[in-house]
Amino acid sequence: MKIQIGIMAFAGLLLASCAKQATPIEISPEAYHASVDKVTEVMIHDIFSPPVASRVYVYPNIAAYEIMTLQNPEYHSLQGQLTDLGSIPAPAAGAAVNYRLAALVAHIDLSRRLIFSEDQVIAFRDSLYGNWDEQNREEFEASRDYGLQVADFIAGWMDKDNYKQTRTMSKFTVDTDDISRWQPTPPAYMEGIEPHWNKIRPFVIDSAAQFKPVPPPAFSLEPDSPFWKEVREVYDISQEITQKGDESEEVAIAQFWDCNPYVSVTRGHLMFATKKISPGAHWIGIAKIASRKTNSDFDKTLYAYTKTSVAIADAFISCWDEKYRSNLIRPETLINQYIDENWKPVLQTPPFPEYTSGHSVVSGAASTALASIFGDDFAFDDDTEVPYGLPVRSFHAFSQAASEAAISRMYGGIHYRAAVEVGVKQGRDLGKFVTENLQMTHANASMANDGAEN
Amino acid sequence: MNKSLYILFFLSLLSGCRQGGSLFDQPAGTKTGITFVNELQETEDLNILDYLYFYNGGGVAIGDINGDGLPDVFLSGNQVKNRLYLNKGQMEFEDISEQAGIGGNSSWNTGSVMADVNADGLLDIYVCAVVGINGFSGHNELFINNGDNTFTERAAEFGLDFDTYSSNAAFFDYDGDGDLDMYLLNHAVHSQDSYGRASLRFERNYETGDKLLRNDGGRFTEVSEVAGIYGGINGYGLGLAVSDFNQDGRPDLYIGNDFHEDDYFYLNNGDGTYSERLREYFGHTSRFSMGSDVADINNDGQPDMISLDMLPEEEVPLKTSEGDDNIQTQRMRTEEYGYYYQFTRNMLYVNQPDGRFMETALMSGVAATDWSWSALFADYNLDGFQDLFISNGIPKRPNDLDFVRFISNEQISSKMDNTRLVDQKALEMMPSGNVHNYVFEGGADLLFTDRSGDWITRDTLLSGATAWGDLDNDGDLDLVINNLNREASVLVNQSQGKGDFLKVALRYSPANTYGIGTKAFAYANGGVQSRELFPVRGFQASSQPILHFGFPAGTQVDSLVVVWPDNRYQVVRNPGLNQTLQLEPVQTQPFDYGRLRPGATPWFRRSKDDMGLDFVHREDNYTDFNREKLLPYSQADHGPALAVGDLNGDGSEDLYLGGAKRIPARVYLQREGRFIASGIPALLNDSIPENTAALMGDFDANGLADLLVANGGSDYFGDSDYLNNQCYFQSGAGFNAQPLPGQPANTSVLAAADFDQDGDTDLFVGNQTLTGDFGARPDSYLLENQGGQWAISKALDGRALGMVTDAIWTDFNADGTPDLIVVGEWMAPRFLANREGSFREVAMELPSGLWQAIAPFDMDGDGDTDYALGNWGTNSKFTASPEAPMHVYLSDFDENGSRDPVVATKRNGAYYPLVGLDELASQMPMLRKKYPRYLDFAGQTIEQIFGAEALQGAEILNVTELRSGYLKNQGGRFEFVPFPIALQVAPILEFLSGDFDGNGVPELLAAGNYFGVKPYQGRLDAFPGALIKNENEILLGNRVGLDFTNKSIRHLALVRLGQAPYLLAVFNDAPAALYELVKTK
Repeated sequence: MKIQIGIMAFAGLLLASCAKQATPIEISPEAYHASVDKVTEVMIHDIFSPPVASRVYVYPNIAAYEIMTLQNPEYHSLQGQLTDLGSIPAPAAGAAVNYRLAALVAHIDLSRRLIFSEDQVIAFRDSLYGNWDEQNREEFEASRDYGLQVADFIAGWMDKDNYKQTRTMSKFTVDTDDISRWQPTPPAYMEGIEPHWNKIRPFVIDSAAQFKPVPPPAFSLEPDSPFWKEVREVYDISQEITQKGDESEEVAIAQFWDCNPYVSVTRGHLMFATKKISPGAHWIGIAKIASRKTNSDFDKTLYAYTKTSVAIADAFISCWDEKYRSNLIRPETLINQYIDENWKPVLQTPPFPEYTSGHSVVSGAASTALASIFGDDFAFDDDTEVPYGLPVRSFHAFSQAASEAAISRMYGGIHYRAAVEVGVKQGRDLGKFVTENLQMTHANASMANDGAEN
Repeated sequence: MNKSLYILFFLSLLSGCRQGGSLFDQPAGTKTGITFVNELQETEDLNILDYLYFYNGGGVAIGDINGDGLPDVFLSGNQVKNRLYLNKGQMEFEDISEQAGIGGNSSWNTGSVMADVNADGLLDIYVCAVVGINGFSGHNELFINNGDNTFTERAAEFGLDFDTYSSNAAFFDYDGDGDLDMYLLNHAVHSQDSYGRASLRFERNYETGDKLLRNDGGRFTEVSEVAGIYGGINGYGLGLAVSDFNQDGRPDLYIGNDFHEDDYFYLNNGDGTYSERLREYFGHTSRFSMGSDVADINNDGQPDMISLDMLPEEEVPLKTSEGDDNIQTQRMRTEEYGYYYQFTRNMLYVNQPDGRFMETALMSGVAATDWSWSALFADYNLDGFQDLFISNGIPKRPNDLDFVRFISNEQISSKMDNTRLVDQKALEMMPSGNVHNYVFEGGADLLFTDRSGDWITRDTLLSGATAWGDLDNDGDLDLVINNLNREASVLVNQSQGKGDFLKVALRYSPANTYGIGTKAFAYANGGVQSRELFPVRGFQASSQPILHFGFPAGTQVDSLVVVWPDNRYQVVRNPGLNQTLQLEPVQTQPFDYGRLRPGATPWFRRSKDDMGLDFVHREDNYTDFNREKLLPYSQADHGPALAVGDLNGDGSEDLYLGGAKRIPARVYLQREGRFIASGIPALLNDSIPENTAALMGDFDANGLADLLVANGGSDYFGDSDYLNNQCYFQSGAGFNAQPLPGQPANTSVLAAADFDQDGDTDLFVGNQTLTGDFGARPDSYLLENQGGQWAISKALDGRALGMVTDAIWTDFNADGTPDLIVVGEWMAPRFLANREGSFREVAMELPSGLWQAIAPFDMDGDGDTDYALGNWGTNSKFTASPEAPMHVYLSDFDENGSRDPVVATKRNGAYYPLVGLDELASQMPMLRKKYPRYLDFAGQTIEQIFGAEALQGAEILNVTELRSGYLKNQGGRFEFVPFPIALQVAPILEFLSGDFDGNGVPELLAAGNYFGVKPYQGRLDAFPGALIKNENEILLGNRVGLDFTNKSIRHLALVRLGQAPYLLAVFNDAPAALYELVKTK
C-alpha cells in the first residue's frame, strides 16, 4: 500500500516537473496587502497593545522597503535616515533575485518573529512558498534566501532598539495617594501598559521628547478651574449624546475609532474580550485603501505603508513619553468619584494615563504621512472596521479623518479636550517633521501630486 | 466487536453495577427510587450569559415529614418540578410528589429547606426562587405539611412569598423569643463592570438584598434594617451559615458573598440587632465565596467553619483559569474601594480563644477543591473526628484564560454584544469543569486527608446542593446530592459497626419543635466533641434535624451536655452509644458559657496609651514586585529597626525606631516612666535610607551610648550610599556618623560580641540580599572594634555567607568563647565556631529552610542550650520536605543581563512553577511565543518550560523544611525538632526569651505573620504568637493577652520603665504596642 502511494506520488512529481515551464514570478500589491492583513489578524489574536503593535508593523515594512529600493531608483533607501540603520547586504553576485518577492519574504519573516502565534504566519508563508516554488524554483529560492538575509539584518538592527530591555523594566507603580495621578480603570483594572515606551529607539525624531506637548491644564477639583471644566465637559458631552441615543453621530464616531485591542467584558463568572485593531492598525488600513484607490504598484504601496508606519511608530514613542510624564488621571475615575458613581464612558477606558490622546497623536502623524504621499485632499471610504461590525465612514481628506479620530475620544468619554486638541497637533507636528526629514522619493519635497501621477 | 472492546464494555457494565467507593456505596435511582434529575435547558434566551447563576443548581432537604422515623428526601429543580421521596426503609423511596403537591409554580427554584414553620410539630418545606429576571415568575413557596403526606402552599399567609433573587433561607430563633425567624439569602445580578464602592451594601434593594424576617405570631415581618442586616445591590449571597460563633447563647451569621463583595460576619447583639464585624474577627476570606459549613473540627467545643471558593487542585485547570488579582489591583480594591482581603481558595477558619478565626485551609489540605458548591462536615467514618464532603463541578469553565483571551472573540463577542446571546458552539469552546467531588478524612492537628477516589469514586458529575441524614437508620450519615442533568446521587454510608455513634433527636417547644439552636457537648476520654443543631448548612440545602456524633469503637461517653435554645442545659450521664437519644428539656439549669472558654490568667496587658510611645511604622510605597516581577516574597518591608538602650545617659532605657525609605526615624527618651518623642537631629536627618536593624552600645568606650543603624529596603541598589550602614558615635558634642565598612547590601541583622576577648565590642553584620538579584548570597562581615574604629576582620570569612536573616553569638561548643550561629533563607543554619579568635564552620546535618529567627533557649529542660528557629510555616502555597524540596531556579532565562528567580514545588513527582504564564511571561516575554495558548503552558514542568539546557546553567537553591522548630542540643550535636502545628500557621519572625511571669525561669515568646507576598499566597496572618515554657508547654498568644494576630511582627523587646518590665512589640506598617507583664506584679 505505502509503496504504491510512493510510486504514484513520484510519478506525479515527474509529470508535474515535466509539464511545467518556469515562469517569472509576479508579486502584486495585493500580495503585500495580504501579508500586512495577516499580521493584523495575528496581532488581534495575540493581543498586542497599541505601542507594541506599531513596532510590529514598522520593521517588516522597512525591511521590505529597503529591498525594493535596490531595484527601483525612484525610491531612496532609509539607510542613514532612520536612527542607526545601516545598508542592507547586497544579494550574492549573479543571484536571480526577484526584489519584490524578496521584499515580501522579508516582510513575512520579520512579522513572524514579532508576533506570538507563529504557526498562523507560517501557514500563510508556506502556502505562498509552495506556489512560488512550483512556479519558478530558482527565482524563488534566490529571492527567498536574499529576503531572509535582509530580514536577519533588519532583525539585528531591531534588536538594538531597547525593546527587550523595556520588557523587563519595572511595572508602573500606581500612586493611590495622589488623586491627580493615573489609576487603573474598570472593569479589568489592568496595569498601566508600556511605562517605558519612551526608551524605545525612535526612527526619525531625535528623541522621545522632541515633540513634547504643553502640559495639560493644572489639576484641580475647583469647579471654576480650567481642568475641572474639561472634566465636566466630558461628562456633559457624554450625557448629551447618551440622550441622543446609540444612533447619534457622536456615538457612531466614538465607536468607529474605538480601536481598542482588548475590551474586557465580565458577566458573572463569564468573562470574554471584544478585540479590535489598534489605532495604528486602523491607519495602516487607510494606507491600504489609499494605495488601492490610486492603483499604486507594489513599490509605491510599500512606500506608503513604510512611511505611514514609521510616522505611527514615532508618534507612539512621543505620545507615551508624555503619558507617563504627566501621568494624568482618566475622566472615568474622577467622574465616578466626584460627579456620578454610576457613569460609564461610551468606550472602555484603555489602560494607560490620559494625556495626550494616543489616537489623536497617531492619527495626526499618520494622516500627515499619507497626505505627503497621496495629497491631503483625498476622498475615501473607510471600511477598515467592517470586520468588527462597524459601518463604513467616508472622508474627503486624511486630515479630516484625523480630526474626527481625535474628537472621537471625547465622545467616547475617555479623554479631556486638551488631550485631543494638543494631541492631534503633537501628531501633525511630528508627522510634518517625519515627512520633511525623510527623503524617500525624488520629488519628496512637494508631495501633493505624487499620488495623482500614479 | 473485537475482543478488547468487548472486555472494556463488560468492565464498564460491571462498574455500572458497583458504583461508589469504600466508604460510600452509590446505588442507582432504579434501586433507591430517587430518580430526580435537575435537567437544565439552555436556550438562546436563557443560559450562563443571561443569568450568572445558571449552573448553581437546585436544592435538597432531608427530614422526616410523616413521623415514621425515617428521614424523607425533597429535591428542588431549577426548571423541573420539585420532587418529594418518602423513605420506605431499606434504602427504598417512593415518589409522592404528585399526591404531596409540592411540585411548585416558580420558573426557577433554588435552595430548599425543611423546618416546622407553622409550629404544628410537622416539617414544612420552604423553596426559594429567583423571580423577576429573565422572565422568571413565581415566588418563594412555603409548603405547609398537612400531616397526611400532602402539603399546601401558604407562603403569602406567612409573609414569606418573596419574589426576589433568592438562593437560600434558614429558620432559627434570632431574637430568643422562642419561635423561628428566617434569614433570606438573596443574590445580586449587578453588572460586574466595576467594583463600585463597598458602601453600596448600606443601600437597600428589594430584589437583591438579604432579609431578616421576624416571626410575629405566625406572620413574618421584615426587620433587616433595624437589625443591621445589609441589603444592598452588591451582595452575591451564596453562603449561609448560622451558628453561635462567639458562644454567648445567641445565633450569629456568616454570609458568604461571591465576587468582590466582602463576606458578612454578623454577631448577634442579643437585643434584636446584629453587628457586622468581619474585619475584627477574620484576617482574610474566600473571594468567590460559595457554600459553607460550621462544625467543631478540632474538638475544642467551639464552632469552626469552612467557606468554599473555586481554586483548582490540578495543574491544568489551575494554570488555565483566571487566578488571583495582581498586587496593585488588590491594593486598589482594598485601599481605594474599601473591600477586605479576599483570596481565591477555600478558607478554613478555626475558632480561637479570643473569638477570632485562624485560617488554616492550606495547612489543613482543603484549600483547593476546584469549583465547589457544598461543604458538609460530619463524622462519616465514626472515628471521633469530623470529616468533610465537598460537592463540585461546573459544566463549562467561563474563566478559562484561553476562552477569555483568544477564543471568545471570534466565537461570541460580536454576537453577545449585539444580541446578548451565547450559542451552544461558543459554550463548547469552554473546557468542562466536571471535577470529581471531594471527601476528606478529618484527624488530629487540623489535618484533613483527601479520600476522594477511595471513600467515593471520582465521578464526573456536576454536583451542587448536598444534605446529610441517616437514611437507613444504621447510625452513620448518608448523603443526597442534587446534580445537574444527571440523577441525584444517594451516597450510602457503609461505616456501620466500624465505630460507635450517638444520634440525638430533640423535642424542644411548641414553637421550635425540633430544637433548632440546641448545642450538645459529648465528653469522653478527657476530650469533648460538640454539635449545634442548625440544619441549614452546605449550600441551598438543609440536613436532617438531628445531632450526630461518631466515636471510635468502644468509647465510653461520660456525659452529654445539652444546651437548649433558651440557654438552659441538662446533662445525660453515661449515655449508651449506638442509639438515638430522644431528648426534651427536663430539669434544666442556666448554662454558663464562660465554661466553654477556658479561663486563663492573662500574662500580658496592653498598657494604657503605650506609656507615651505613639510610634506608628509606615511602610513606603515602593513595591519591589513591580521591578523584580518573579520575587517569591518582598524584600522591601523588613523595617522598622529597633534599638533599646540608655541613649542620654540618665540611667533609663530609651528607644530608637528606624523609618522606612524617606521616613525619618524616631527616638523616644524615657522620662519619669514614660516615653517622650525626642528630636536628635543627627539621627533623624538621615531619613533617606530604609533602616532595617539597629543596635546601641558604647563602642568607643567614652561612656556615652553610640548607635548602629543598618540599612536595606531593596530599592537602592549597587553601591548606593543609602545602603551603607552607619555608626553614630556620641560625644559631648552630639552624634557623628561614620559608615561601616563592607560592600553595600540589604542588611538584616547586627549582632555584637567581644569575639576576640580584648574588652571591646565587636560586630557581626549579616546581609540578606543584593537588590535586583534575589538568590544571590551577599557577603556578610565580622567587624573588629579597633579602639572605636570598625575594621573588617579576617577572622571570619563572611563571603557569600547566605541570605542571612538573623545571627546570634552563643557559646555553642561550650569552650568559653562566643561562637556565631547564622540563619537565613534557602540555607541551613550555619555554626561558626570561635577558636582562639578565628572562626571555623562546624558541619551539621541541618535542614535548609526559610529561616527567619534564632534564639537560645533550653527547650527540653536538660540544662544545655537548644536553639529555637523561626521558619516560614506550612500554611502557604510553599511546600517542602527532604523528599520534595522546594527549588528556586536562578538564571538569566530571558538574557536581559539579570538573573530571574523561578520558584517551583514538587507535585506528583515533577516540579512546576508556582506562578502562571502571565506572571512568568511578564519577566520572560519569550514564553509567550513558546506558549501561544494557556493550555499549552498548563501542566508543563519546569524542565519543559525552560529546557534541560537552560536549567543546567541555572543555580538551584533548596528548601527542605518549612516548619519552625528548635535545634535540640544533644551533647554539642543538634537535631531539628519541629514545633506543634499551631506554631506553623504563619512565619515566625521573632523570638524573645525572658522571665515573663517573674518566677525566675525564662520563657520564650515567639511572634510572626507576614504580608509581603503576592495575592496568590494570600496573607500569612494567622499566628497569635506563642509563649513557650518548654517543648511540651506552649500557650498561644491569644490565651495570654497578646494581640498579635493579623499583625506582622518585626521586633520584641523587654524594656524597663522605671522599675517595671514591659514587653515592647514592634510591627511593620502598624503601631507599636507596649504590654505590662501582669504576672510579675
